Amino acid sequence: MTGASDEKLIDELGLRRDHRWSIYDHPNLIRAASVTIFLMLWEIYGRRTDPILFTYPTAVAVAFWKLLVSGELVRSMLVSLSALAAGFGASLVLGVVFGLVMGRSRLAEAILEPHINALYATPQVALTPLLMMWLGLGFEVKVAVIFLFAFFPILINTASGAKYVSASMVEVGRAYLAPPRQILFKIVFPAALPFIMAGVRLAIGRALVGMVVAELFTAITGLGAMLSLYGNIFETAKMFVVIIVLALLGIGSIHATQWLERKLAGWKETERAVS
Amino acid sequence: MPLNTLEQQALAEIDFSEDRPFRLVDHLGLVRATSVVVVLSLWEIFGRQVNPLFLSYPSAIARAFFQLLGAGEFERQALGSLQVFAVGLIAALILGIALGLLMGRYRLAEYLLDPFVYALDATPRVALIPVLLLWFGLGTSSKIAIVFLSGLFPVLMNTFSGVRTVSANLVDVGRAYGAREGKIFSKIMLPAALPFVMAGIRLAVGRSLIGIITAEMFTAVTGLGALLIRYSSALATDKFFVPVILLALLGVFLSSAVEKLQKRLAPWKETERAL
Repeated sequence: MTGASDEKLIDELGLRRDHRWSIYDHPNLIRAASVTIFLMLWEIYGRRTDPILFTYPTAVAVAFWKLLVSGELVRSMLVSLSALAAGFGASLVLGVVFGLVMGRSRLAEAILEPHINALYATPQVALTPLLMMWLGLGFEVKVAVIFLFAFFPILINTASGAKYVSASMVEVGRAYLAPPRQILFKIVFPAALPFIMAGVRLAIGRALVGMVVAELFTAITGLGAMLSLYGNIFETAKMFVVIIVLALLGIGSIHATQWLERKLAGWKETERAVS
Repeated sequence: MPLNTLEQQALAEIDFSEDRPFRLVDHLGLVRATSVVVVLSLWEIFGRQVNPLFLSYPSAIARAFFQLLGAGEFERQALGSLQVFAVGLIAALILGIALGLLMGRYRLAEYLLDPFVYALDATPRVALIPVLLLWFGLGTSSKIAIVFLSGLFPVLMNTFSGVRTVSANLVDVGRAYGAREGKIFSKIMLPAALPFVMAGIRLAVGRSLIGIITAEMFTAVTGLGALLIRYSSALATDKFFVPVILLALLGVFLSSAVEKLQKRLAPWKETERAL
């Protein structure tokens, strides 16, 4: 507690250090300067290079506006996002259900685990050609690829969350004669939720990768197809528009899941690296 | 305290050798083995009945495996993939660790670089493949670039957060004993961040493997990814599974090798972050 006399004493002894202005107190200023300088250098350098190979920010902005006005960007994005929603939704539902079953039943775990591990170890991209052979080039194959990319992180995280629910909590539930369904929904599921959310966060990034991979290879509709099309006809500026949109989608989905994680599962911050 | 006769009699009457009823849960290894055998034999039976253009079966895949290994073509492609993989990954590790150390130690570097690092990290890396192909062509250099970009960010982000968690006390003690900046980096920062760096390397190995496969599938000229595309275009499903299985084994081998290395190099801390 410093009274007025203390303050005076501090002044008299010259102990007060005035806080000098430091650039480190304004990190966003440095960030903004860094981005601006980068964009300017890109603009200057980019204008001098061959427009087939490289581009510059204003050209990207013009291309963005053109694609937006023609409706092409919005159309492709809707196609991509609906495939993403379908594939990710399916992997969320099935991942959580199978994860809870595997986490709670040692028998189910023993039956499913070898197959899950084998499929999880396989780089999922390698299975894309097979899925294209089975499902064709349409909407279904995109959903299947996205599902395959996003399913395992959710499944594995849910299973380990359900497995490591403290036994004493389950026993208290049993002691109060809770039926198995209540134990599952009132004890196991909430306890596993932080793990599930960590899985969801990993899965959404992978789902986005799956979406781009599927669309690049099928190359008919969606953002990935736009990327592939404009790459083939050397419209570099338009390619960058798609890349920037995908980057924004990535950033948006990361923030959305982090927000959801805090909202739904704020009570525990544990997370497991399974990716 | 010796037992009295009554207690001895009771002990004799209770038969401890009584067989417990057979429960599947006590034989999980058996359940696992059965599950694998059942799935493989169902696949064999079912697979023989469908058109071989769409699905193969285990014995055909085994035959294709030996056939391809005998031909020598397979080893050549795998070796080519691995060389590209190694070059790209090593470059990613060197630059990722260096930038991570810089960004973790100096706030100016952090604020200058982090807008770009976060933006690029959130972008699905596959989306950059068409641009990289445009710039570097279909040869080795574009593949190296893709492997490099896939591996860079996990290492960078992990090194960065590792350095940031280094306790300031350690650095102060180093300074007090007159350690120069170089020594602080090599004797304090790097060892303290090493567990994080190793966790990042483990993630990077997996991502780079996916990167190289995707790149090779997309260029479809050389490497294991190109074999995947070649066999799936030729509808040779049995041969298609050979590189898939090999890639799965490679993924498992590489990640367990890094894990072993992690235990040897950085046994003092087991923390890892999912980034």
